[in-house]
Amino acid sequence: MPTPLRSRGFIAAALLPALIVFILFAIVPILWSVYYGFFQWKGMGQPKFIGFGNYSAMLQDPVFWRALKNNLILVVSAIAGQIPIALVGALLLTANGWFNRLIRSALFMPMVLSTVVIGMIWGYIYNSQFGLLNEALSLLGLESWTRAWLSDPKINMYAVSIPINWSNIGPYLIIFIAALQNISSEIHDAAAIDGASGWRKLRSVTLPMVWSTVVVTLVLCIAGSLKAFDHVIVMTGGGPAKSTELLATYMYNNTFAVYRYGYGSAVSTMIIVISLLLIALNLLVTRRKNG
Amino acid sequence: MRNISKLGIAAVTAMTLLTACSGGTNNEASSKNGEGADAGKKTKLTVWHNFAGDDARAKTVRAKIEEFAASHPDVELDAQAIPPDGYRQRLSTVAAADEMPDVFLSYSGSHIKGFQESGLVQPINELLDSKQEWKDNFLPGAFDGSTIDGSTYLAPLAMSATSFLYYNADLFKQNNVAVPKTWDELMAAVAAFNKAGITPIALGNKAPWVAQSTILGSLADRVTGTEWFKKAVAQDGASFADPQFVEALGYFKQLVDANAFAKDANTIDNTQAEQYFVQGKAAMMVSGAWTLTNLAATSEDELKKIDITVLPSVPGGKGEANTITGGAGAGFALSKKAEGDKKQAALDFIYAVSGPETQKAIAESNSMIMYKTEVDQSKVTSLYYKAFELVKTIGITPVYDAYLSAEAAEAINNGLQELMMGGKPETVAQNLQDAQARSLNP
Amino acid sequence: MKATAAPIRPEAVGKPRAGSAAGRFAVKLALLLYAAGTLYPLYWLFISALKTNDEFFAHPYALPQKWVLSNLSRAWELGHMGRAMVNSVVVSVLAVALTLLLGTMAAYVLSRFRFPLSRAATGLFVLGMLIPIHSTLVPLFIVMNKVGMLDTYASLILPYTAFELPIAIFVTIAYLASIPREIEEAALIDGCGWWGIFFRMILPLCKPALATVAILAFLRFWNDFAFALVFINSQALKTLPLSLALFSDGFGTDYSLTMGAMAIAVLPTIAAYLVFQEQIMKGMTAGAVKG
Repeated sequence: MPTPLRSRGFIAAALLPALIVFILFAIVPILWSVYYGFFQWKGMGQPKFIGFGNYSAMLQDPVFWRALKNNLILVVSAIAGQIPIALVGALLLTANGWFNRLIRSALFMPMVLSTVVIGMIWGYIYNSQFGLLNEALSLLGLESWTRAWLSDPKINMYAVSIPINWSNIGPYLIIFIAALQNISSEIHDAAAIDGASGWRKLRSVTLPMVWSTVVVTLVLCIAGSLKAFDHVIVMTGGGPAKSTELLATYMYNNTFAVYRYGYGSAVSTMIIVISLLLIALNLLVTRRKNG
Repeated sequence: MRNISKLGIAAVTAMTLLTACSGGTNNEASSKNGEGADAGKKTKLTVWHNFAGDDARAKTVRAKIEEFAASHPDVELDAQAIPPDGYRQRLSTVAAADEMPDVFLSYSGSHIKGFQESGLVQPINELLDSKQEWKDNFLPGAFDGSTIDGSTYLAPLAMSATSFLYYNADLFKQNNVAVPKTWDELMAAVAAFNKAGITPIALGNKAPWVAQSTILGSLADRVTGTEWFKKAVAQDGASFADPQFVEALGYFKQLVDANAFAKDANTIDNTQAEQYFVQGKAAMMVSGAWTLTNLAATSEDELKKIDITVLPSVPGGKGEANTITGGAGAGFALSKKAEGDKKQAALDFIYAVSGPETQKAIAESNSMIMYKTEVDQSKVTSLYYKAFELVKTIGITPVYDAYLSAEAAEAINNGLQELMMGGKPETVAQNLQDAQARSLNP
Repeated sequence: MKATAAPIRPEAVGKPRAGSAAGRFAVKLALLLYAAGTLYPLYWLFISALKTNDEFFAHPYALPQKWVLSNLSRAWELGHMGRAMVNSVVVSVLAVALTLLLGTMAAYVLSRFRFPLSRAATGLFVLGMLIPIHSTLVPLFIVMNKVGMLDTYASLILPYTAFELPIAIFVTIAYLASIPREIEEAALIDGCGWWGIFFRMILPLCKPALATVAILAFLRFWNDFAFALVFINSQALKTLPLSLALFSDGFGTDYSLTMGAMAIAVLPTIAAYLVFQEQIMKGMTAGAVKG
């Protein structure tokens, strides 16, 4: 749209309040934290400027790489799990009967539950001695499949990623439902007249209509997966022996447990940089796909 | 349309007002202080602690704090009970902003040292010296972890006795196992209980300090002796990569290899492990005095089955065998910024909540203290009383993480989890050595 | 916002569904099973909240042998949960309202106008989604301390809003992308100003997006522990998550009290979800206007 003079006042008045609150309470603190990232500082006393010292230490720390790898597992599982499941769920559940209402609420429920409860429940599911999963496997005669799901470093990150995905489907489901409702019934009717139904309608009508929402959920997914923190803290605390460490738990641990405040700040800067790279990549891919 | 654009503006103003309004409550609060100052020169004192929960000790300390507030009308006391899970984080945040409360709970060892090195606290020797009898009644070593360059910064409220060997006497009897006095007996007991399908030792090492604090510290001291540990901490004539420490880790690894712990030991928490133990699913548990507090609500019938001793000796060890790891725990520290009336009020407060009466009351809430006192046996659990009597007969050796730097403590905590997952003692020892060396010479 | 005229709402047009009866039944059954699995933790929370500590560990899945209602009342009393609940409601509701208002205004401007720096502003908000909040604790504390804002409702409301704005803005932008601009242009020619268009047309049209944002934001604010821990001092201003953390120290957790407190704290979030869900579904009928 063109920007006539009289719109300028509107633009300023509508955008500035959000921008001001956002800059003051989110951008300024994070820039400050980026600045701390260039210091050796234990969070009290005198900081010492060390340039990129924290970053080179980070790149040499195997725990950082493990955390990054674990985060990437989360990103992939979120994109492959949360978004398709939420989208399919939303497609199945847009009509407003009591059944759909019940199912929708159920799918959303993990979101309202405290992560402590989720951590406890899944702890019971995964427990190697009396956990539900191992008992179910034994019942099915699959004793050889039983594991110490959260302790075995080869599999525990995947085990942890399941509850994380499971509990995060709700928001995407809601976002997709809201988007799908925006497709007017005329479009559905037109599609019906053209003889489009099932997969063809989904591909040629529905998906393009909600594509901008899909792109946004992908961005949310990437950002959310790289910031993931609560569930892992509750379920494994990042252990055993850092095998489920994530970038955010690594950052938290360095900042508040080991008192390497400057280093922790550098890690959080790194989280932002990595997220930006992944999001740029995502936008590149989705744009091409869209065009 | 005008009205609507006004709405937008109104919203923005409302936002500003919101800030202003809530700022208002703040002003109100400070003006209250102002009034107080006019009325009788009230001294404002801010205190932070983490006695926030429902356990007997927390309630005891909170009651003492309220008593202090009631008996000191000239002090306006702002005592904050902060959830323990967030306590250190909150303290770190205000420390970074140089906004410490006047009096706050800190821990003997590297925690209080951190504040001291950053110039955020001041000594309380003045108070200790003015109450000589009180000072003399603290147990030997009570001030070791909080005395730096001759000045003392804490009067400990608690003993962190961390390595009792709790055992289920019924299970030992039923399975004909002798309570282990030597390493071989311990290994035999582990084998016997495994054979009987009972977890030998309950361990909840999800928060990975547990294995270090309860098992390794005591075990390592038996192997290396205390002198060696202090030298290694100072990186002066000993190194954590020395063979004797690798040997100590080797003992821990023997336990792991003999399946002394449940497979899930690294993913369950301490409370869960305590519950397995109390319910008779595990025969032993190596744990600290906190288990006495945690189990205080358990029925006496179940507690009676449990007995308490120290870890067994190791062959050829250089350290004393009849010991547990322990030392002074938390105590109240004084901010550097407290001066004049405020400082006096702060010192009065510290005495009121760490003095002889409070120490006795804390002991009678089933918690260990660093202070000579008698407890009324009827007020405590049978298990606590056994522990209380046991402590009088044994020696105390240092807890690892109270002396190691935060970074080195993390390295050994993590290393023990690695050992439990098949890691090598040599690697773990080297990582600990590197971390401790790095934090001394950054 | 409420003063604006409601758009005409023709009845929703039911969507024809493809597939055999058996297929539909299978899908429903699968959904039902999944929903049951998802609702189970909620059920587990409530039965656990009514058990003694011993029973909680001895029989984690069974119904309480003795129903201990006192867990709830003791948690309520010891955690000062009444006061905390009021504070949480005040903080969450005000922050949600502020997020919705500022977020929608900004989203509208960013989606409809091209002006210098519009892309930069959008980019800045993307950045906001990536910030790991723990790294901003110390800088925010210092800033708020300097301006005397600590220990006020605003010290929570403004940072909450700031960190939720990016998601609010992107969800709304994605939603706006599917609303045709022609009607706004027509309205502009009819003499409605931008504010008129925004409040009379856009806000009502965006209802599903607003409800989506509101649910996500409300949950986030309601459950926040990090900011509430650090920025609030007075007992009188403390929010619920601080009450939930009281029954656990580094050495042990009183699970029955913790579960009791959580069971109390989860009720308002379920209520909020149900209310907003209705709003999302109502948007469905409104959506038909735009064809």
